[in-house]
Amino acid sequence: MKQVAYYKGCLASLSAKELDISTQALAPKVGYELIELESVTCCGAGDIHEAEPDYYLHLNARILSYAAATGADTLMTVCNVCTLNLRQANHQLLNDAALRERVNDNLEQVGVPRYEQDVDCVHFLWLVAGESFGKLQEVAHKGLRGLRIAPFYGCQILRPSKLMGFDDPDKPDSLERIIAACGGEAIDYPAKIKCCGFPIIQAREETALAELIQPIEQAKEAGADAMVTPCPLCHLSLDAWQSKLKKQTGKDFQMPIFHLSQLIGVAAGLEDAELRFKRHVVSMQPVLEKLAL
Amino acid sequence: MKVELKIWRYDTSTGERALRPYEVDVTEEATLLDTLDAVRDRLDGSLAYRKSCRMMICGSCGMRVDGGAVLACKTRIADVVADGHVPVVSAMGNLPIVKDLVVDMDPFWQKMRAVQPYLEPRLDRATEKENVVAQEQMDMIHKESLCINCGCCVSECNSMESDPDFLGPAALAKGFRFVGDARDGATIDRLERYSEEHGIWDCTRCYFCNERCPKGVDPRDAIAKLGAEAMKAGIDRDMGARHAKWFVTSAKTTGWLRETELVPKTQGVVKAIKEIKFAMSLLPKGKIPLPFPPHVAADIGESRALFDLVTDQGRSGAAGIVQGEKALMHLAHHGESVDGPSHPYDDPRSFPKPYLPDEEPAT
Repeated sequence: MKQVAYYKGCLASLSAKELDISTQALAPKVGYELIELESVTCCGAGDIHEAEPDYYLHLNARILSYAAATGADTLMTVCNVCTLNLRQANHQLLNDAALRERVNDNLEQVGVPRYEQDVDCVHFLWLVAGESFGKLQEVAHKGLRGLRIAPFYGCQILRPSKLMGFDDPDKPDSLERIIAACGGEAIDYPAKIKCCGFPIIQAREETALAELIQPIEQAKEAGADAMVTPCPLCHLSLDAWQSKLKKQTGKDFQMPIFHLSQLIGVAAGLEDAELRFKRHVVSMQPVLEKLAL
Repeated sequence: MKVELKIWRYDTSTGERALRPYEVDVTEEATLLDTLDAVRDRLDGSLAYRKSCRMMICGSCGMRVDGGAVLACKTRIADVVADGHVPVVSAMGNLPIVKDLVVDMDPFWQKMRAVQPYLEPRLDRATEKENVVAQEQMDMIHKESLCINCGCCVSECNSMESDPDFLGPAALAKGFRFVGDARDGATIDRLERYSEEHGIWDCTRCYFCNERCPKGVDPRDAIAKLGAEAMKAGIDRDMGARHAKWFVTSAKTTGWLRETELVPKTQGVVKAIKEIKFAMSLLPKGKIPLPFPPHVAADIGESRALFDLVTDQGRSGAAGIVQGEKALMHLAHHGESVDGPSHPYDDPRSFPKPYLPDEEPAT
């Protein structure tokens, strides 16, 4: 069992608790002991990076510092946006000694340990599609029984690839490999690497919905039983905003959306209470019936 | 080297659109542009595409390979056709096609014009001495100054696809090139204008622009710099700005995003009330976490103290983003080489290395 520091971020703490619960239940099965970080805050979600960039860097340095304090060399995230924000800040700190010194002095002054021991920040997807893929294949034996799954990557786990770098940003295959390992069939469609619209869904709803409809509509047309995403923000827009799409376009997609940890969880035989499908807005029932769960 | 490729042909006179296969012999070193030249010279003289400098400076030959925008002169064809892959070459996206691979750049230039892409001098007359701009001040706009107006960033811009009026990554990056210029005197006017509808706050942060830019401008980062400068100047009426501001407030007060209050804080109470029906549909699923009692992070005092500490250190606004660029500079996008070749004279096939009078000639 490998120990990793676990940063769950805002959504998995609150509105997407099912993501946190299923991740905590699944992690030991694929070889990870999660050390949850207590004294951490929001990563800023691109918003603090834009509103107060220097504060963004310090907040993320603080998260990295507490991750390092656990003694683990890996900080695991379950959200695309957290992954980009933490990796970007980490890269800046690890490759600019003067900047790191200044930030560390500031952290020290407010009582936060200096960020000295380097950690690598990685998304859960990269762990299960990478170093623990063999473990995944072992535990996924309950299978998805040929369920047709549309992978939806979202943006900030692929781009900018110079900071992310796990998948080919234009031809990613980690989700496809996981779906296949879990006994499902991966559906291919062009919008799987595009934006779900979430960052502007409140400020520019019309533009955001025009983005959101593309992956859902394409997945539906390609015959998907459900979609899966590694990002809780994508999950929230894909799941909760489908009713808005219906209101706007008259199209009622009823597309069930899995969090990545739930999809693997189903194949690995997690219990109902560990999956919490009842917290989804679009019913997961049709998929569960197909699986005869 | 034999190269197979497919090209989306478009004939404006007939409206006919077809994907045509071509096979042509080119050298190992050939670029995509060289390959298109070969196709046109030897197979089909009617193929239309733009080119000029052939060396990544003029920005003429932007086009898509397998759906992603590239400069044809920067793309080595051998890399594209590796493992027998047959690439599909087509015109850039988000701009109307004129013929084959040529797009109408007019909408692009209109947006460029809209950001007033020229210096509006702060100092309108000579003072006694020359006005020296320090290198550090010019470093602020180093990346944005690299733009060659090729349009690759615009091609896959997800916001522009959904909102064709969005100013877009190229024009906004150009906007920051002047907002960040110490010699420009129209900063506030610019920030006001760029903060309007279809401006800074319409960016959906898909990062396609950073991924596609062949010159390392990173337009999304330039948009974030504009946002940071606008907020610093107190230009924060837009819902996007209020949305961003609420994250800062959340981080300072509870540490975690106060999700439920985000809607009224962004949209205003009146508009938020109209959303109540939608909100009520999400409530039973736990998607609207109640703000009371607040979910407060441990040791939240540290995060508050950090805010107070760093806001006084002169790195507010765009400077907070620019300070991180030194570390990001040496990173390359997927498929690009990070360090490039070592010194060209280290190549055994090179001409002898030049030497100064007091040096020994290289052997």
